[in-house]
Amino acid sequence: MLEAQALTYSVAGQRRVDTVSLSVRPGEVTVVLGPNGAGKSTLLALLSGLLRPDSGQVRIEGRDPARLSARELGTLRAVVEQSPGWQSGLSAAELVMMGGYLAATAADWHTAMQLAHCEEFAARRLETLSGGERQRVHLARALLQLLSSTAPNRYLLLDEPTAALDFGFADAMMADIRLFAAQYGIGVLAVIHDINLALRHADTVLLMANGAGAAFGTTAEVMEKGRLEAIYGVQLAELVSRETPLRAFVPLGHGSAPH
Amino acid sequence: MRLAPLVMLLTAATIVTAVIALCLAPDGDTLQLMPLISGKLSAIDRQLLLELRLPRQLLAFCAGALLAASGAAIQARFQNPLSEPGLVGISGGAALAAAFALQWMLPSPLVSVLAFSGGIGGLLLTWLMSRRAANGERLILAGIAVNAIFGSLLTLRIVTLPDGSLRTITFWLMGSFANADWAQARLFLLLTPPLLALLYREWRLLNALQLGLQSAFHLGFDARGGGLRIVLLAALAASLVVSNCGMVAFIGLMAPHLARQLVGSHARRVLIAAPLLGGWLALLADTAAHALLYPAELPVGVITSLAGAPFFLWLLWKNGKEGGWHA
Repeated sequence: MLEAQALTYSVAGQRRVDTVSLSVRPGEVTVVLGPNGAGKSTLLALLSGLLRPDSGQVRIEGRDPARLSARELGTLRAVVEQSPGWQSGLSAAELVMMGGYLAATAADWHTAMQLAHCEEFAARRLETLSGGERQRVHLARALLQLLSSTAPNRYLLLDEPTAALDFGFADAMMADIRLFAAQYGIGVLAVIHDINLALRHADTVLLMANGAGAAFGTTAEVMEKGRLEAIYGVQLAELVSRETPLRAFVPLGHGSAPH
Repeated sequence: MRLAPLVMLLTAATIVTAVIALCLAPDGDTLQLMPLISGKLSAIDRQLLLELRLPRQLLAFCAGALLAASGAAIQARFQNPLSEPGLVGISGGAALAAAFALQWMLPSPLVSVLAFSGGIGGLLLTWLMSRRAANGERLILAGIAVNAIFGSLLTLRIVTLPDGSLRTITFWLMGSFANADWAQARLFLLLTPPLLALLYREWRLLNALQLGLQSAFHLGFDARGGGLRIVLLAALAASLVVSNCGMVAFIGLMAPHLARQLVGSHARRVLIAAPLLGGWLALLADTAAHALLYPAELPVGVITSLAGAPFFLWLLWKNGKEGGWHA
């Protein structure tokens, strides 16, 4: 399990993350939602071991990331940042291989390329790819990192993995990620902005506002119209599909000004 | 381009350049090619060839290779395509320290240690001045300032000496392989392969660092510790060159760039192609420095700067347009 208990983190006296707790179970997808500036990316950096909390604790499989080496940490979790760096002159395949420097096999590499749908442009240089394609290359790189690890439980942390993707691809990618999580018993934590994607693909949701965790629980529990309206400062209509058990929220206008 | 043909091409080019340069012999006020192949060498020609030309070329090739590898490593570590040992303060610091050490008549190993410390000091100063910089240009601006300060201090020190000559100043600021002897060539032959191998060993980390320090950490690398190791190795390689040959500018910038253009950015290939290219470029520049205005000898830095500075401006322009590293 990847757990956080009462995490607090401040920058220049300002609280970015304020007593947030959550847990990510192997095989499940947890989505972090919240308005811009709610502290979602900072929370992800704390969970990944990049930042250390001022108070509270993070535990990956019961271990404190601060006490693990970068290498040990690399076998337990992989991260795709919001705008991951890249360099022209590298091919997609070469970037994906970086996820396997610790111990990947050729089979792992093929699986990762397949799962992230990167095979068709494997040989192309990164500068010739679209933003969405590069995003998938980075996902494949993170998948390879986890596939090549022998740790029993591993975690995938994604910061806006669907930001550069169109509507259809974003949905397909979240579906793939969910499948991957279930198939390999990998716990996924994804920061996303689209509440309807969360509704469709998340097992659990953490809703954040002003650095604090406003609600954490199963998707059905957390995704309530009134709560979302309060946090986003926007009036919503809840649409329910007749044919499927799907729900969706559509913004109607600002009830109270968002902050 | 694939790596193997490039390696063969560069090896051939290096050999051809070296043979031409080896055979350049003074004939009155001009240079003539010595009849090396026919084997009709006079005793003086043979001495010239073995005692002066050969060590000079070995030194030039090794120095160029070390500067190129050092540049490739520094560019990847700082995710800054515009950096090289001379543009991040290493060369300036190393030159100042080495010039002092030589004046104090310190033994050669101590000169190298001081040059290395000076190189690290120069880099540290540059880095501190450019800290919190949002863009890579600031690192370069700080490096140029640090180099200018060190260059002025060096000049000041030399002109205030009783035997301080313009020639000595030019040697340090523009670099030269003209004073090469076998002791230097042997030292470089001994140290270049292990230094290149140590940098090559870091190819995985150098690749990961191309994505940024954070990504390298996420991939499971000790990015800060490993990055420091890389910087120390790069500084060691560059300081060794500077303390023996002065500041030969721009090879550390040009060679890795050309290498990336030719074989892509994968660090494993760059760390093979760039040293070969750097060695060849240094050899070519040295031959030009020797032969262009014969009997006058140009400092090799004049040639590398004449080629390198426009290259740098082009990179600056291109980098402003599209960027080399994207974080």
